Amino acid sequence: MISNLTILPVLIPLIAGIIATLFHKKLTLVRIFSQVSTIISTIVASYVFYYVIQNGTLVLESGDWMAPYGIVLVGDLLSVTLVLTTNIVALAAVFYAPYSLSDEQESFYFYTFYFLLISGVSGAFITGDLFNLFVFFEVLLMASYALIILGGGKVQLRESIKYVLINLFSSMLFVTTIAFLYSVVGTVNMAQIGQRVSEVNQSGILTTIAFLLFFVFGTKAALFPLYYWLPRPYIAPNPVISALFGALLTKVGIYSIFRVFTIIFVHETAITHQFFIWIAAFTLIFGVIGALSTNNIKLIVAYNIIPAVGFMIAGIGIYNETALSGAVYYLVNDMIIKAALFLLVGAIAYLAGTSDLRKMKGLIHHYPMLGWLLFISAFVLAGVPPFSGFIGKLLILQGAIEANEIIITIIGLLVSLLILFSVMRIFIQGFWGEKDAAIVPNKPLARKLMLPVAFLISFSVFLGIGAEWFYPITEEIGNNLMNPELYIKSVLKE
Amino acid sequence: MLFAVFFPILLALIIPFLSKWKTTIHTGYFVLLAPLSIFIYFLQFIGTDFQTRSGSYSWIPSLNINLDFYLDGLSLLFVLLISGIGALVTFYSIFYLDTSEKLGHFYVYLLIFMTAMFGVVLSDNVFVLYTFWELTSISSFLLIGYWNFKERSRYGALKSMLITVFGGLSMLGGFIILVNITGTTSIQEMISQADVIFASPYFVLTLVLIVLGAFTKSAQFPFHIWLPDAMEAPTPVSAYLHSATMVKAGIFLIARFTPIYTLSELFFVIISGFGIITLIWGSFMAVRQTDLKGILAFSTISQLGMIMAMLGFGTKAAIFAAVFHILNHATFKGSLFMVAGIIDHESGTRDIRKLGGLMTLMPISATLAFFGTFSMAGVPLPFLNGFYSKEKFFDASLNLGESSLWIAEILRVAIPYLAVFGSIFTFVYSMYLVFGTFLGEKHLDKLPKKPHEAPIGMLIPPSILIIGVIVIGLFPNLVNESFLAFTAEAIYGKPVETHIQFWHGLIPAFYMSLIVVVVGTILALYQKKWRKVYDYFPGKLSFNRVYDWLIAKLESYSKTLTDSYMNGSIRRYMILILTAIVLVTFSVMLITGGFVIDYSDLAPITIQEVFVALAMAFAAIATIFTRNKIAAILILGVVGYGLAVLFVFYRAPDLALTQLVVETITVALFLLCFYHLPNLRERTEGIKEKSGNLIISVAFGLLMTMVAISAHSSKAFEAISQYFIETSYKLGGGDNVVNVILVDMRGIDTLFEIVVLGIAALGIYSLVKLRSKKEAE
Repeated sequence: MISNLTILPVLIPLIAGIIATLFHKKLTLVRIFSQVSTIISTIVASYVFYYVIQNGTLVLESGDWMAPYGIVLVGDLLSVTLVLTTNIVALAAVFYAPYSLSDEQESFYFYTFYFLLISGVSGAFITGDLFNLFVFFEVLLMASYALIILGGGKVQLRESIKYVLINLFSSMLFVTTIAFLYSVVGTVNMAQIGQRVSEVNQSGILTTIAFLLFFVFGTKAALFPLYYWLPRPYIAPNPVISALFGALLTKVGIYSIFRVFTIIFVHETAITHQFFIWIAAFTLIFGVIGALSTNNIKLIVAYNIIPAVGFMIAGIGIYNETALSGAVYYLVNDMIIKAALFLLVGAIAYLAGTSDLRKMKGLIHHYPMLGWLLFISAFVLAGVPPFSGFIGKLLILQGAIEANEIIITIIGLLVSLLILFSVMRIFIQGFWGEKDAAIVPNKPLARKLMLPVAFLISFSVFLGIGAEWFYPITEEIGNNLMNPELYIKSVLKE
Repeated sequence: MLFAVFFPILLALIIPFLSKWKTTIHTGYFVLLAPLSIFIYFLQFIGTDFQTRSGSYSWIPSLNINLDFYLDGLSLLFVLLISGIGALVTFYSIFYLDTSEKLGHFYVYLLIFMTAMFGVVLSDNVFVLYTFWELTSISSFLLIGYWNFKERSRYGALKSMLITVFGGLSMLGGFIILVNITGTTSIQEMISQADVIFASPYFVLTLVLIVLGAFTKSAQFPFHIWLPDAMEAPTPVSAYLHSATMVKAGIFLIARFTPIYTLSELFFVIISGFGIITLIWGSFMAVRQTDLKGILAFSTISQLGMIMAMLGFGTKAAIFAAVFHILNHATFKGSLFMVAGIIDHESGTRDIRKLGGLMTLMPISATLAFFGTFSMAGVPLPFLNGFYSKEKFFDASLNLGESSLWIAEILRVAIPYLAVFGSIFTFVYSMYLVFGTFLGEKHLDKLPKKPHEAPIGMLIPPSILIIGVIVIGLFPNLVNESFLAFTAEAIYGKPVETHIQFWHGLIPAFYMSLIVVVVGTILALYQKKWRKVYDYFPGKLSFNRVYDWLIAKLESYSKTLTDSYMNGSIRRYMILILTAIVLVTFSVMLITGGFVIDYSDLAPITIQEVFVALAMAFAAIATIFTRNKIAAILILGVVGYGLAVLFVFYRAPDLALTQLVVETITVALFLLCFYHLPNLRERTEGIKEKSGNLIISVAFGLLMTMVAISAHSSKAFEAISQYFIETSYKLGGGDNVVNVILVDMRGIDTLFEIVVLGIAALGIYSLVKLRSKKEAE
């Protein structure tokens, strides 16, 4: 049955992860196996993506238990787009990993955790069931716990305990909130919840529960004022792990907000979505201020996750088709560029022997390509055309103007400037200046580390210059999100 | 046109390869191909029968972002300036830059800049214009930072980028609003809807946003501060970007949008007001400088202010004078920059205090400089184009239209005086520049190199420009009817016919010119006497300080602010998070009337239940106060076992059993682990902190309780669990519904929960194993 395609992006990494445990000490084998599996997974994800574009939403009723009773997996355009992006990020990471991780880290199940993380993330994107979403959250979080402590450095352990505790708290709140919601609407199928919430016109308690859910996802997504846990734990582990976290984990939170606040809680937008715009404003400002507050290049990138999330939440808050399709565009762009940046600063820190900006200078003389990649990514991140960041930002701001939200537009523009400044500091201080004679360049390693980064950045460039190819897809996603009955109909088949 | 725009950037792609042979053939010769061919191509459009033309190429049609190129008189003037000066500057750079420099980089940036600049002036699509606009900022950044081993270069590059990108983003904001108002991305179509824009409530906002873009780019007061620092770039760059072309992009933008905004008097107030301030400030500050390029930078600022002011006047004569001066300024200022570069190159310094008497050593350069500066000063001589534009400026300042706005009225009266005042200083710095360098005493001992005349290659480009100065000066009408009239028409909206004469008779403008020359000469002669004024004004007050302060504070305040809450304490984070959740959710509950209690569906409460619940609550509270860790674990166990008992009361024996097993194992495990952990520490928080924590935790508990009660009381639908009970045997083949749910109906949940456990096991294993391995080493 063709609808079985839906589960493949979850299943392939799951199985690959399990198989990888069997020969975890045979490094060459496990590397090749992981690389091949990721390529296969990416090909499959591309095919599913292609199939959904051609034929519309795929719905898998697991175990043949009809919706809304069993768990449904829904491959709509948004889900499959994000699954494909996840695989692209994974592809870059898996080729970067051997040069970045120590042999020990690799042999102690890095690849297993990595695959299960991908599986959990893909599952979260695919599922159409709120409780099942919780389960996939657990999978990806548990994998992330394992990854963050991999290697067991002192800093890692100190930071990971905060990470684990706050995420544990939000998981508990999540499952409790699902229980509350179930009590009111009597179902956990997202499409049916949407239908039922609309039948009672989203009564007061439902809006209250909506806010609890928002806080759950907002904690994962690192929104103001819930993001404190994010920056330091994210830079504690190896760069390749930071890249996976930065590119994927917060985005699952954002994705969940997308889903819940376009399918389910859409009847009190004057309260919910208006609130998001305020949250977006503060997230943008505080995030970028954080990025300016440090000289640690890894931390600069980690803080930059926050304003990016701010842009997306602004898109949801504005809640019109233009802004939503912009937010989706931005989401895809941000997954790719954040992965690229984490890998990039990881490489820079490794090659320069420090992540303190004040101790770097003139790296461009040793590693010119590295410098130019950073230069381009700064502009991608700040949303300067013709790169992909611009299209998403432009649409979000256009949507904001359509909705007469002038303040958030101006904040968005100013924050773009500061984002550019925060990353350009790395370029100016780290790469410009006199040649640092103390550095003995390791060019072969630099090349190997740069290849995955260049791969990701080429996607950003492509998504910017070739926007005509990708924009119609996000436009349709925006349209789908504004018309939740389409999703509900395709799941419940009524 | 598409090819013209992208030819330089395509050429840039192969420059890195060509630059490999830079010792055999200077890379600049290849680069010359681009501006020269484009110049010749566009030259053919000049003529009295000029017609606008356009070309459109799709890029992102779904977003209405297309490469729509539009060539009218305005863009033609700029294209010719960019390509013409571009060719001269490239030629000049061949002799200026030694082959030991990184020529590949330099020319790649320069070619990117050319494409960007052509794009800006030819684009009809606002978003494409914005794209090229930012590209000019980026290439300018790279060119200023070309000698990035110098601290000042890096500083100047960053400053110019921050200010111009700030302007660019603001302009983007303006564009987005305009697109929203008019429903089109084409500037020409926007112009045709000027009245719609004027009627929009966002009219003023778009004006301000777009003006910010223009002012930052064109170095208008108070955004002019980046331009002097941009002089760290190699001189060909200063001549090209920071005098002839890029800084005029802001002028171009204002000119382009004049047909839309001229409807408002605010336009006049803002553009002319800031323009005239910039004119005065720039020329006043130029006299203070000691660096040749510094003088020229402030002079450029001042001249740009003058053009801006004329655009703001909005009268036919003023607009014509503005476009005339755009051309004239490019000729004399370009040549002066090149001469400054020659002096720097041949004598090793640009410090005017060390220079002097170079006339005899560098006679050709000196001649060129005399023509350039006299034209700049607007000395009334019939072969200097600068005089004509200066006189037209005075003339226009006297003939401003009527206005109803009081501030516009004040400005209208003040402008002629301000114009003369600013021009006096223009005269002074021009004289200061040329006499200080070429006349007076020689200080050859102070110079790093023995100066001599430049190689012929460096003299040709400024000579060509000076020939331009003279030709336009002698035959101003040569460029008028066939060319500039169309430029002015594109801005003014109606045909503009102007015939320029040298002698207008004793009109007021002529007297104004005379005043400038007389007062200027006196001030120039006694410059040393009044120079002290700069110690007091502006003294320490400058916008540079504002910028430096902003940047420094941005970093230090960010640090203070971020460190104030990101202190690494998990307890603090939780307090902040919980406070937010409690405050927001309570308010929402209040606003939406979310709190509901419904007693109808409740079972009676028995004494046993109350007892168990109280015991659990007591135990939970007790854990906080226990300092003995074993006791804490055991008390915590009470909560778990109490829950199991409650399950028994509610007739769920399987759950009760599971809970008992889980609780027993956890307690046992805890006991095993706790042996290795340190003792619980005495709580040291003060009473204030403790009570704060108490309030937050009680409030959060209350919130969850209230939501739980309301959720229970607002059951609106039949739960899907009924279906499970009905079909568990029929479809699932099992009597025990819970089992069927776990392994069949929601099998995926179970599968992945098992995965979670598996990961946890592996994670702990690898943590323990990897650590013990490390310790063993």
